[in-house]
Amino acid sequence: MTMQTMLANPLASIVLMHADDLLMLGHVQSDWTGLAPILEEDIAASSMAQDDLSHALVLYQYLAEEFDLDPDAIAFDRDPADYRCCNLTTVPDEFDWAVSMCKRWLLSTYTKLGLDRLALVDEGDLGDRCARLRDESAIHVAHLGAWMIRLGTGSTESNERMQAALNLLAEEAGMMFEPPDLGFESDEGFCCGRGEMFDEWATLVGATLSEAGLQASFTLPDQAARGGRRGEHAGHFSEQHAEMTEVRRAEPATAW
Amino acid sequence: MSGAANPVTPPDITITADPEKLAEFEQRISDGVLIEPGDWMPDSYRALMLRMAEHHANSEIVGALPEGEWITRAPSMLRKLALTAKVQDEVGHGQMLYRVSQELGKSRDDMLRDLVTGKTKYHNCFNYPCPTWADIAMIQWLIDGAAIMNQKTLADGAYGPYVRTMNRINMEEAFHFKSGEDMVLTLMSGTRGQKSMAQEAFDRWWPIALMFFGPADKPNAEDLPPMKWRMKTERNDSLRQRFVNRFAPAAIDLGLIINVTTKDEHGLVTSATPDEELGLNQSTGNWSYTQPDWDEFWRVIRGNGPCNTQRVALRRLSYEQGAWVRRAIGEGAVAVPPAA
Repeated sequence: MTMQTMLANPLASIVLMHADDLLMLGHVQSDWTGLAPILEEDIAASSMAQDDLSHALVLYQYLAEEFDLDPDAIAFDRDPADYRCCNLTTVPDEFDWAVSMCKRWLLSTYTKLGLDRLALVDEGDLGDRCARLRDESAIHVAHLGAWMIRLGTGSTESNERMQAALNLLAEEAGMMFEPPDLGFESDEGFCCGRGEMFDEWATLVGATLSEAGLQASFTLPDQAARGGRRGEHAGHFSEQHAEMTEVRRAEPATAW
Repeated sequence: MSGAANPVTPPDITITADPEKLAEFEQRISDGVLIEPGDWMPDSYRALMLRMAEHHANSEIVGALPEGEWITRAPSMLRKLALTAKVQDEVGHGQMLYRVSQELGKSRDDMLRDLVTGKTKYHNCFNYPCPTWADIAMIQWLIDGAAIMNQKTLADGAYGPYVRTMNRINMEEAFHFKSGEDMVLTLMSGTRGQKSMAQEAFDRWWPIALMFFGPADKPNAEDLPPMKWRMKTERNDSLRQRFVNRFAPAAIDLGLIINVTTKDEHGLVTSATPDEELGLNQSTGNWSYTQPDWDEFWRVIRGNGPCNTQRVALRRLSYEQGAWVRRAIGEGAVAVPPAA
């Protein structure tokens, strides 16, 4: 089978959507290794980045087995337009810990709900794989949520910085719920319902924001709004993709 | 990346401690008893031990930077994961060593500020560039290999918290070394371009690895505090010889050529010719080799290396950018004074 067969498969596009989110989230966050504000949190953030990358790999491996492909080829060798990560994953954080923190928390909360749903899918061992991943994902949500509260309530300065980061990310966050192509035009198709998942996510996020003394307004975008899930990435994604594949492309088709 | 804890220029030491207490302290060390933070120790011992642990901690977190630059370019999922975990380990080593240093009486914030203002130093080998993926392989193989050799002797020292930390670090360094060895082997089994990339990186890192152990000790090193008090337990030259004995034949087996090189101000090689001194002395079992350029070593340690400014600037940026987080959780970060 070919990469195109995988890309044309409806369930694969949902799996790929989460895998690509996790790859790019881990990729961007791993760039902070050694540079976070506190050593202990540097180590924790790196562990979460490694979890994200590992989770992406588990999902790529599932797809590789289903479609007889190489997991690294799925991860690195697609054209940028064939990646299904949402644009929130790749928003540059400009070395601002508040943006990094808010982005990871918004996305991790979403990913956990997505894995909850995929864990119920009766298709090969996909459900089992996702059930394993969501337990670690839940730890990320708890850790990042605690930091949202700590920094939201820590000082006037930290509250303002976190609020500014949320203001920057809130609009893009809704686009996490953009359906990928192929048979997901209706809410029902989005692995148990796009609208229901958005409501659950917004309730969870809203409860933490309230405790953190922060505000944000999120809206579920119209089905027609196109973004990263359908390959329409912001300009910085192609730069990140070029950097991510630079060494691999230098000597293609060989072991590194 | 690993940081050896050989502060290169031990300060002049005046021992003013009570002679009886000092004799008892030195007897405990020669009896192999570990010194613990609450035990009596001469002020000069505390100062030297702090200097050594702080220098080592600084080296770990600065050492995370050159390898960290390549995480986003790692060429496969497994290499990406391994490199992220490896750099994380180095940050973790820094955290453990700052804890050891904190117990010796200096706050973490003071240590981080002294690092970014240039008041304290870190290991010289991190002031060199990593222009290719193969540099990451060579760092993990040669520099982590050198660090293991050095740190195993430091784990035989006398200060309990530092010894225990070395033992923990060395276990992780062994994984880093194996990962580096696998990366070098993969490159040397690969395409012509990969082999050439590996050789060029080896040319850059071989002399740095030789310098890693520091210059030759004074003839009476065993009688001076760092060795007398078992803060270090082996001479630099002796460690260097063991390193060459282990790595010269391994490099040759992999198909690498051990060259004598010259470098430009950016740390890039301008000429490379095979080391004519290289060879195994059958009677001693030691390999002979050409010494690295010690003038270069002193230039770099005085702040004029290819990447000194870049490394400190990035640590300073990290310190400044993260200050609001530390303030918010009450860790008392204050404004950074101007660079020295």
